Amino acid sequence: MPLVMLCPACDLAHRCTAAPAFVRTRCVRCHKPLQVARDATIDTAIALAACASVLMFLANVYPLVAMHVNGASRQTTLIGAALGLYDQHYKMLAVLVFLTIFVAPLLHVVTLLYVLVPMWIGRSAYGQNFVIRLITRVRPWSFTEVFLLGSVVALVRLAKFAHVVPGIALWSCVLLMLCLSAMTSRTSSEQLWQWAGRGPP
Amino acid sequence: MTGRAATGRSLGLLVCLDCHLTMRDAKAPQMRCARCHARLHERKPHSLALTTTLLVLAAILYVPANLLPVMDTQTIIDDESDTIISGVLVLLHSGSWPIAMLVFVASIVVPLLKILALAVLIYSAWRRLPNGRMQRSQLYRAVEFIGKWSMLDIYAISLLATLVQVQSFASIIVGWGAWAFGAVVVLTLLATHTFDERLLWDAR
Repeated sequence: MPLVMLCPACDLAHRCTAAPAFVRTRCVRCHKPLQVARDATIDTAIALAACASVLMFLANVYPLVAMHVNGASRQTTLIGAALGLYDQHYKMLAVLVFLTIFVAPLLHVVTLLYVLVPMWIGRSAYGQNFVIRLITRVRPWSFTEVFLLGSVVALVRLAKFAHVVPGIALWSCVLLMLCLSAMTSRTSSEQLWQWAGRGPP
Repeated sequence: MTGRAATGRSLGLLVCLDCHLTMRDAKAPQMRCARCHARLHERKPHSLALTTTLLVLAAILYVPANLLPVMDTQTIIDDESDTIISGVLVLLHSGSWPIAMLVFVASIVVPLLKILALAVLIYSAWRRLPNGRMQRSQLYRAVEFIGKWSMLDIYAISLLATLVQVQSFASIIVGWGAWAFGAVVVLTLLATHTFDERLLWDAR
């Protein structure tokens, strides 16, 4: 029997052929992407992940927005937004915000670097298989781009009665969003397994 | 398509939903993926029952999420409660209609459409409706894609509540509507996750 691969979205069986050099293959029935192109290099993914980690540092260290009103001023950082909810006793909401804007993106970038760097020098990280699975589980909960638009909405509402100044962290978030989406599109689970040398033939 | 298509189910093969490796039924030790050790299932276990439960909870909470105030703005002159829809109106009156549209779509239209779409998907998967499978699969992927955008208002509220704490001038207190709204978003995200897309394609 020839090698077969199943479509994870519709369960259709496909005869397994070598992955094409430049394009993704899709399921003939439901058009779900099946294989990744062979030409993808690991260097770009590592560069993007390194870039994302720097931006994430900036986004968390510097203030996100500052507000000046009647001589008083207040500013907040990214984590401060989650802590604000915590202070008002909405602990579950605070945890949700904290997980989706801080923990998930951080874990995503750190785990990617953890498996990609050893792959790059031709080794495999300790617990690689588990970590790759962790990446695919964490990824859907990283909501940086949504947070960015949410803060734009908050700024617009505040601008009516206060002077608001976007901080370094907000601009870092813009770049981080672009960086994370470029990184995510280059590191599908098929791609990670292919780099790990355990992809389909 | 004519005749029966060869599927994993008809060939006795399993695909790992975490790493997309295909393997033989019997070769997978203790129903774990040979490559990433994720648990394997022919279909996600109790997919329809779980999705329905989560969806019903989300639909119930959608009511308080829209009726209860999401935040309470207290200033020296007045005390104003905002629900999600009145927040949209505030944005509209302050002249920023693109942002108002964005919040309206992300917080009111998207959750409602998501609940309706998942209900349609559950019904068609349960009845195994044979027509328009491609469209329903696309609907599912659209729901998967836009799901997280409903969090937008939660983030906006959390930032507002953190920033606007100027003593004796103004402060913003989060309301229970925000809690209900957050719960709706999480429940619909989980419902999308527990739904097995392959059920849409299973033959009668």
